[in-house]
Amino acid sequence: MKVYIITGASKGIGKSTAIKLSHDNPGDLYIILARDLSKLIETKKLMHVDSNVITKPIDLSDSDKVIKLIRSIGDEYGRIDYLINVAGYVNPKSLLETTVENWEMTFKVNILSVFVLTREAVRFMKKTGGKILNVASTAGLSSRPGWSAYSSSKAALISFSKTMSDELEEYGIKSYVVSPGRCATDLRKQLAPEEDPTTIMQPEEVADVISNLMGENGNNLDGQNIIIRKQL
Amino acid sequence: MKKHSLLLLSGGIGTRMQQDIPKQHLLLFGRPIIIHTLERVDKIEEIGEIIITCPKQYIEELENMIINYNLNKSIKIIQGGNTRQESVFKGLTEINNNSVIIHEAARPFVKLADFENLINSEYSNISYGLDIPFTVLKKKDDYISENLNRSELVNIQLPQKFNAEELKQAHIKAKEEGTTFTEDASLLLKYSNSKVNIINGSDYNIKITTPVDYKIAEIIYKDYILNEI
Repeated sequence: MKVYIITGASKGIGKSTAIKLSHDNPGDLYIILARDLSKLIETKKLMHVDSNVITKPIDLSDSDKVIKLIRSIGDEYGRIDYLINVAGYVNPKSLLETTVENWEMTFKVNILSVFVLTREAVRFMKKTGGKILNVASTAGLSSRPGWSAYSSSKAALISFSKTMSDELEEYGIKSYVVSPGRCATDLRKQLAPEEDPTTIMQPEEVADVISNLMGENGNNLDGQNIIIRKQL
Repeated sequence: MKKHSLLLLSGGIGTRMQQDIPKQHLLLFGRPIIIHTLERVDKIEEIGEIIITCPKQYIEELENMIINYNLNKSIKIIQGGNTRQESVFKGLTEINNNSVIIHEAARPFVKLADFENLINSEYSNISYGLDIPFTVLKKKDDYISENLNRSELVNIQLPQKFNAEELKQAHIKAKEEGTTFTEDASLLLKYSNSKVNIINGSDYNIKITTPVDYKIAEIIYKDYILNEI
């Protein structure tokens, strides 16, 4: 039985990914994380009935709690095969309106938590090999006036993911990074409130790509930023 | 299953590398050089324990490093001696198996199979060695004094495996006589009747000693360990 950890699983791409993976790989163990337990339970209801699903409500900006949780998972199950970091935070403001607290929270959730989750998971994953996938954004690739905290945190995530691909290679750990473009999520609503979500890419389409990457089809696609974008 | 002890010599203090930190603590492709060996050995069931000899001032740093890398083996770190020979002897007094494999932390390009070849060998005393592709002559003062037939010479490489008790007794005799050796096959040859078998080593298994070695280390890692080049 393989062990998956999926963050941001209460909604959007994280929720769709958890559902998709459980249907593609029933019988595995899925530990799904987000702040809101009731929403995690909703995700669990939509996952494959033969999958073992454990819901863990957690605030990823609290590094001590993240460390404790991953160590307890590793100790209890003896392995962590897949770590899928989807959770994201955004509070778009212009430079002059961005508070230090906003900037810190954005970086805590979008990059610091990924570093902590990765470091802790790799301590177990290095014994068996595995796959780590980080969901960045096309916002991490170019100038985004008004989103500087978010876009620069995603740029950091892309760089971190590529470095991990090299640094963890000898362990048999593959590191992936995908950068979705406009996708109909709650986070997107904050960035583009006027946009009609039905006209853009859906979270399920990103989840399809992630599930492919986590399978054998993805074995030669690690270490590079994969852009997932609906062409108009 | 017969268990072996690994004696890992980690005595460098960085002088020849012109660094403030010992070379075996420098990063090679993201991880300290000494960790490369420890992580590979961690997968070998036949190695029952690891003794690391290290300068006193680096023991705590090394202990923390080992915790961070979540290694499974029983690892004991002891203070090394003033010389390599002293460090080996101190290590030999700590081991709990009849067979010891000696390796140097500054040789990170040792593969799992290199250790397994020693473990599976029928010989109790065995060392990796390479032919010498260049000419070595003896000198006296500033003059060449004697020719050496290179076909009779061997470039000794670590790791090496020894009968621990035989090697320990040989060390005791060397200590009594005050003789010094730069590695243990020659010491054992001098002070015991045991033969030391030679197994073919690898050009890649270099000891990182100078800044040049460190510069080429990443290329060797990618080519030889990751098979990427």
